[in-house]
Amino acid sequence: MSDSAQPIVSLRDVTRTYAQGKTEVLALRGVSLEIFPGELTVLSGPSGSGKTTALNLIGALDRPTSGSVRVDGHELATLSRGELSELRRDRIGFVFQAYNLVPILTAYENAEVVMALQGIDAKARRARVMGLLAQVGLEGLEDRRPDEMSGGQQQRVAIARALAAKPAIVLADEPTANVDSETAEALLNLMEQLNRELKVTFLFSTHDPRVMARARRLIRMVDGRIVEDKVQG
Amino acid sequence: MNLPRMAWRNVFRNARRSAVTISAMTVALAALLVLSGLIRGLYLGMERDLVELELGDVQVHAPGYRNRPSIYERLEAPDSIIAPLEAAGFRVSSRLRGSGLAAGAKESAGAQLIGLDPARDATVSDIGTKVAEGRWLEVSDARGVVIGRKLAKSLHVGVGDTLLLLSTAADGSMANELYTVRGVLGPVGDGLDRSAVFLVQQTLRELLELPEGVHQLIVRRPPTVPLLDAKAAVVAAAPGQDVNTWKELMPTVAQLLQSTEGSMMLMFLVVYLAVGIVVLNAMLMAVFERIREFGVLKAVGVKPRTVVALVFLEGAAQTAIAVGLGLLLAVPALLYLSTTGIDVGSMSAASLGGATFSQHWVAVLDRQTFTGPIGALAFVVSVAIGYPALKAARLDPLEAIHHR
Repeated sequence: MSDSAQPIVSLRDVTRTYAQGKTEVLALRGVSLEIFPGELTVLSGPSGSGKTTALNLIGALDRPTSGSVRVDGHELATLSRGELSELRRDRIGFVFQAYNLVPILTAYENAEVVMALQGIDAKARRARVMGLLAQVGLEGLEDRRPDEMSGGQQQRVAIARALAAKPAIVLADEPTANVDSETAEALLNLMEQLNRELKVTFLFSTHDPRVMARARRLIRMVDGRIVEDKVQG
Repeated sequence: MNLPRMAWRNVFRNARRSAVTISAMTVALAALLVLSGLIRGLYLGMERDLVELELGDVQVHAPGYRNRPSIYERLEAPDSIIAPLEAAGFRVSSRLRGSGLAAGAKESAGAQLIGLDPARDATVSDIGTKVAEGRWLEVSDARGVVIGRKLAKSLHVGVGDTLLLLSTAADGSMANELYTVRGVLGPVGDGLDRSAVFLVQQTLRELLELPEGVHQLIVRRPPTVPLLDAKAAVVAAAPGQDVNTWKELMPTVAQLLQSTEGSMMLMFLVVYLAVGIVVLNAMLMAVFERIREFGVLKAVGVKPRTVVALVFLEGAAQTAIAVGLGLLLAVPALLYLSTTGIDVGSMSAASLGGATFSQHWVAVLDRQTFTGPIGALAFVVSVAIGYPALKAARLDPLEAIHHR
């Protein structure tokens, strides 16, 4: 945490309730937290603790029932759907548990999707995407489609896609849940390296102890509340 | 993200489903292209026959003649009308008309007597080429007549037989003369088939004791002059006379022909309704199978309108393939039908609003033959794709990402 820098993410007294049949489920109960540039933070907790809900709110995919969510200086409640789309496109990178690559696009095309949406010219896109693919260890595999790659390779493409648009923060929801331990180790090394060398801000949600162990900052959630927020050595 | 490329690849993602969709579109389009060419050929043939055989583009009569035809209602100075029109590139032929009785050896029937100059008339009408038996009029054969096929049948006369014509001459006296049937026409039009007796103009003039004037001018316009402009030119050349286009002379047929495009479009839409259901089903399946993918795209910043564009491009790609294949099937058939055609000998006896169908039914192969069926297909596919496209665009990214 930094005292001088402005937070990229700021949650103030956020609650989120869902209707489940006739009952109301309180997924977040007055959560407040700040994420600063360059942090590698892990939201941990058991299933139903609210970590994914928090990640969705920060990712501008959901709106809070009450409270304030600010991302990169924008109060999300004041943004239209189109503006939320632009915020996600320009300032937030996503890495999903199930990779979620577009199956008909090659590794290169998947990685360049966001840049193409931003209207960046093909030459600049190529330079950036080829560099990123090399950085995530996929040099020479750029023409492969998702079904021609392993799970680990697909998640590396997803990381390259998340980083391509130079986002303010990368949100990774259980990024190692679908890969074997060796691949998970390699992916964590990669994200740690990207955080260290490129100062990419990462926010993970996980209940994988290996991921928690790598976090510089660990936020533990239980029943929709933050019960622990600590910086690790 | 190259949307057209993505759409193209998506078409081949479920090859079997796309093949069924494209096949349905192809078969319907090919069938409707051929049908469009044939129906347009049928109606345009009717229009052409009406104009080229019977009516011309524009006709001139003395005021009141059409409502109450009388040999006394004549255009007294036809040359003063013909000369300026011919100078402007129009072709004009005068006709003398009367009514009377035609009699063979045993039978008699009412007849319309039409006197014309064979050489001049050939510049405005193809009627002389429609002789089924015998030959057309010749100036040198003043006593030779050509009659309609139904009249010949009812009088039991044929080529070489004698025909008695009875009428009232202009001086009120009984006009009667014997003539020889030189030719019998094939089917040209119901009215002419039943009662027409064509004579050399001078012969009819002598029979009816009409020293001057004519009853009718038949005008053909230069190909580049629109019909209404042609009428205006004729009105200017024949002030005070009754000038009408062929559409005004036969309004029922004109309306029928005018409604052809609308009727065909309705037929296209009915046939395409089935295709639309296939497309709607296929595109809905394609969207439902990819809910998570659309969710991811929207999560990373793809806007709803881009999703709509992607789904529409997928439909457009399939339509484009179907149009290519449809043309490949239909064009050879249309080429054959527009050159060789279909012989409809028995059908040619039928008439519609006074116009008869051509004996030789040929398809028309022009721009409109293609624009109607292809345009209607594009319209139906667009409507069918609208719902799946909006469905995809309105997906909530959060729900869609977690869709299973």
